[in-house]
Amino acid sequence: MVTANLMSERRMLIPNNPITGLLLAIPGYFFGVWLGNVFGLFDDQNTGVILGYTVATAAFLVGMGFLNYPLTRLLGWPVTPISESEPDAGLSRYFRLSLDHKVIGLQYLFTILIMLLLGGIGAMMIRSSLLVPDSSITPPGQYIALIGLHSVMMIFITSAVIVGPFGNYLVPLMIGARRMAFPRLEALSFWLVPPAAVILAVAAFWGGFPTGWTGYPPLSEQAGQGMDSYIVGFGLIALALVVSGVNMLATIITLRAPGMTWTRLPIFVWGIFTTSILGMLAAPVLTAAIVMLAMDRSVQTSFFLSSNGGSNYLWENLFWFFGHPEVYIFILPAFGIVMEIVPHFARKPLWGYRTGVVGLFGVALLSWFVWQHHLFVSGIAPVLRPFYTLSTELISIPTGIIFLVVLGTMWRARIWFSVPMLFCMGFLVNFLIGGISGVYLSDVPTDVTLHGSYFSMAHFHYTIMGGEIFGLMAAVYYWLPKMTGRMMSETIGKLHFWWMFVAFNSTFFPLFIIGLLNMPRRVAQYNPALQGLNIWVSVSAFFLFGSMVLFAGNLVYALAFSGRRALANPWHARSLEWQVPTPVPAHNFDRVPVITGGPYDYGMPNARPVADFGGIRGVTSGA
Amino acid sequence: MAHRTGTLDVLPADEIRLDARVVSAGVWLFLTADLFYFAAWWFAFFYLRALNNNQAWIMQGLTRPNRAYGLVVLLLAIATAVIFVGITAGTPRTMLARTLGPAALILGAAACLFQGYAMWHLGFGLTEGGYPSVFSGLTGSWLIQLLFAVGWLTTVAAQAGPAGDTVIRPESAAAFGRILLFLAGVGVINYLLLYLVA
Repeated sequence: MVTANLMSERRMLIPNNPITGLLLAIPGYFFGVWLGNVFGLFDDQNTGVILGYTVATAAFLVGMGFLNYPLTRLLGWPVTPISESEPDAGLSRYFRLSLDHKVIGLQYLFTILIMLLLGGIGAMMIRSSLLVPDSSITPPGQYIALIGLHSVMMIFITSAVIVGPFGNYLVPLMIGARRMAFPRLEALSFWLVPPAAVILAVAAFWGGFPTGWTGYPPLSEQAGQGMDSYIVGFGLIALALVVSGVNMLATIITLRAPGMTWTRLPIFVWGIFTTSILGMLAAPVLTAAIVMLAMDRSVQTSFFLSSNGGSNYLWENLFWFFGHPEVYIFILPAFGIVMEIVPHFARKPLWGYRTGVVGLFGVALLSWFVWQHHLFVSGIAPVLRPFYTLSTELISIPTGIIFLVVLGTMWRARIWFSVPMLFCMGFLVNFLIGGISGVYLSDVPTDVTLHGSYFSMAHFHYTIMGGEIFGLMAAVYYWLPKMTGRMMSETIGKLHFWWMFVAFNSTFFPLFIIGLLNMPRRVAQYNPALQGLNIWVSVSAFFLFGSMVLFAGNLVYALAFSGRRALANPWHARSLEWQVPTPVPAHNFDRVPVITGGPYDYGMPNARPVADFGGIRGVTSGA
Repeated sequence: MAHRTGTLDVLPADEIRLDARVVSAGVWLFLTADLFYFAAWWFAFFYLRALNNNQAWIMQGLTRPNRAYGLVVLLLAIATAVIFVGITAGTPRTMLARTLGPAALILGAAACLFQGYAMWHLGFGLTEGGYPSVFSGLTGSWLIQLLFAVGWLTTVAAQAGPAGDTVIRPESAAAFGRILLFLAGVGVINYLLLYLVA
């Protein structure tokens, strides 16, 4: 019989909070540096720095309490089942190790918003530097370091910005589960992110790294110790992606409530499902590449050193085998958000639900066959180019299908233009521009011309910021009432949307023109004839940042000052997560519900209630 | 017999059955991810071997690691996996688990120690070309994962008492056996590549 025991992992000697984590991480860092310097004296301290970061992270996790469970097992003490974890209360639970998916979702949300602020400040510094055509504001070395820090920080954020907060918080609620499959792994996936962000930020003290987010050798092999931050930080994020992917997929596969068939699964969950497949399979390849780079820089192997039997193309292939699915890790959950939110505000069933799912899988599948389009200008065999051009262009078909599903749902609907809906519509406009500009970059002749220019930069900002971040905003406005019990101001929200939409397009659309006029990326100096356009872009970027400040103000006001409590279902939505009380009970559902209807059956005369919350006694899942 | 967990009555048997399904799915998913990790190393092996940049895949006069020694490590890893899978298959038998569990543990620890010793005495420097790079990285990755697996095996053995987790949730212990089998399989592929194909 499984019983709780007084000597549970929660009562072990090691507490589970960041203070003990930090207390162990600091000596851990110095121990790692000492160890590395003992064994790696010949390598400019790279071994020491890499080991320092690694040991510090491991020590931080031990201090957070992640060793308690294995130690409990090792000592032969009875293991406490997850379902017997005591429900936590109070604000303090957000600052320590928690196994509650709702706490972890909010931990993710606020951590990532803080990181977004840091990445945004980096963007403002870049745009400030580009107010003048020479490098008088930021010297070239500092400029490229700034580009690297901004880009990698943003990649860290965008990898997790939807799956982390909303995937963790909502997936169990949407599928009728009382928990995630592996709560400890779920917590681990979150607690790997803060050390990764700190280690990356520390690179600034080492002079940053000159490679941008791609880390190409031989530059990355020659770079200073700032590059070690890139290595360990990216390694931790890759690990978080794998852990999160395994957890999400196992949850969706095994913990669905009775009646939650695959064809009743909310489309957002399908978005998380396909994203998790990509993260789980692509990130291990990055991890292997990162280990190779770390070995080249520390123990002097030669994976990427052509003169000694290696090849820099090995890095390019491995990195982009991860890197291109990675961009769909950004956008697939945003597709899921848009397809999820639009039916609720169009008050119509999702048009072509199955087609939408096929679209998500089509994007996920094709994303494995396009990576070499990033190598068009690296000198890959010409015979390979047509295939990768074709496969890249093919990906616009499932993407178009997803657009069709959304537009079909909105067709002739009486749309409720709420703030989440506005952000969904903004997403459609922005991503359309981003997607179409991507078709040009998939063609070899135009890519060879535009690859290193601001055209490419404008393209991926349209897809990532115009797409994913607009999706994020839609999600925050839509689900925040359920997650926090507070409503954000609708008026300020609408102002935020229009401000952000106009400022975003004013910032990034001129970059297409600047790119066509041959202004190169990652260079602090540019042709003085382009100064007028660059001033326009910089000023617009400052306005864009201002819109985010307005968003932050709206959020803080709603959470701390407004006192306006949200209704349990303020949008009158049908989907399962809106049927539970707010705040959501510790175990989500008193009994695991029996799902009896689809989440989007709006306006259907014979639509049944979405679930029977009486459940079946003793049933813990229906999958 | 039901007991209270928060606000829900859950039958322990149901919870255990659910847990078994979750762990089983999780292990398969993890192994799929891990396969991609090792596939990246195998790709590096074939890529660098095929390019042979500067004729430095295997430099002239390079002493390769001893095949027989590598085989001993591999056999120890296979034996660990086979014994563990043997004792966790079917109905758990506590006595068998108590005796053979430690045996699997000793074999696994021996595999790690032997592999660690081999890596400390490679016979070549890591700077000596593509093959030494791939050998050290691939074998090192395998060794680290085997170390973690043996660490977990220790906890499984420690929980083999009558009320231990290994006996209460045998399916979870059996699912862990797949990880050991997987690592043994990867070890076989690595051996073929690094000692025979290279």
